Amino acid sequence: MIYEVFLKKDGRDEYRHAGALEAANDELALVLARESYLRRAEGSRLWLARRDHIIEGGTDFVAPNADKPHRHHDGQAVAAHRKQVREDRS
Amino acid sequence: MTDSTTHSTIDFLLTFADDEHLMGQQHTEWIGITPFLEEDLAFSSIGQDELGHAVMLYELVLELQGIEATDTAIDELAYRRTDEEYRSSAFVEYSTEDWAQALVRHWIYDTVEEQRWNMVAESSLQPLREVSVRAGREEVYHRRHANALLDSLLTSDAARQKLLDALEVLTPLVPSLLAPAPSEQAALNDGVVGGSSAALDSLLVEAIQDRFGVEVSFATIDQPPQARLTRSEHFAPLIGRMREVLDYDPEASW
Repeated sequence: MIYEVFLKKDGRDEYRHAGALEAANDELALVLARESYLRRAEGSRLWLARRDHIIEGGTDFVAPNADKPHRHHDGQAVAAHRKQVREDRS
Repeated sequence: MTDSTTHSTIDFLLTFADDEHLMGQQHTEWIGITPFLEEDLAFSSIGQDELGHAVMLYELVLELQGIEATDTAIDELAYRRTDEEYRSSAFVEYSTEDWAQALVRHWIYDTVEEQRWNMVAESSLQPLREVSVRAGREEVYHRRHANALLDSLLTSDAARQKLLDALEVLTPLVPSLLAPAPSEQAALNDGVVGGSSAALDSLLVEAIQDRFGVEVSFATIDQPPQARLTRSEHFAPLIGRMREVLDYDPEASW
């Protein structure tokens, strides 16, 4: 089985994806991930997730939102509008 | 400490240190050739841990000898004694290219090593107690690693047979690992160690029964009376490999 490896350092950093490894079971995955990914103190906590347990949204599902520019506004139009309304009222 | 106490303590520490040193060397010789990459990293890390334990024990020896524990002094002690001055067991001197043997030996060695650290956890020698805490922590991982692999492999008939064959090859060597330091009784009397290596025999027999479902007996295996004072035929080539780089340029500073 393939396991995805996530590491977290002490403090406020979030878990970050570090790589993957193949192992026959959960315990072996833990034992092997420790020396493959943490032997130089790259993190102080470890998550392993079986790849087949990950719920994936593929590009076909996710991509269409890229062609909706109205969802990508940077707030300038709204800010300008609010300013205009404030000025009109005063 | 009196001179004779110092002498017996040093002898006791060297017996442990030399096993750690040679076991570490044997494990690290698998780098690049274990059956898969992750195991390559794990197994050589474990080997490095054992080498680290050896260094800590050699440092204690040098301290008792009144020698400053510089890298050069540690190397001198670790690599430059005569064959007779080493106290290693035939069990760790034995070199193998068989992965099943390397794995079973790892499990047996760490089963025994864990107990050896426990036996010095209350030592009258304070720095040895400290070393045992650190090494004991690492042993938890070593044992878990060996057991995880064996748990998995023993479910396959083909792998199980290879492991049992390996156990059969290693069994005659086990008494050498259990053989006490020549000075063990003195170290016991001085409180340097809290238990005798004779106690390890039945413990290991039981552990092997639980682990492999096989009954072994070490008592019936012929053993030289002072096993720790003689080296097996595997020692010379092994120490030769270990000295190879040092010998290449003896004056080099590391």
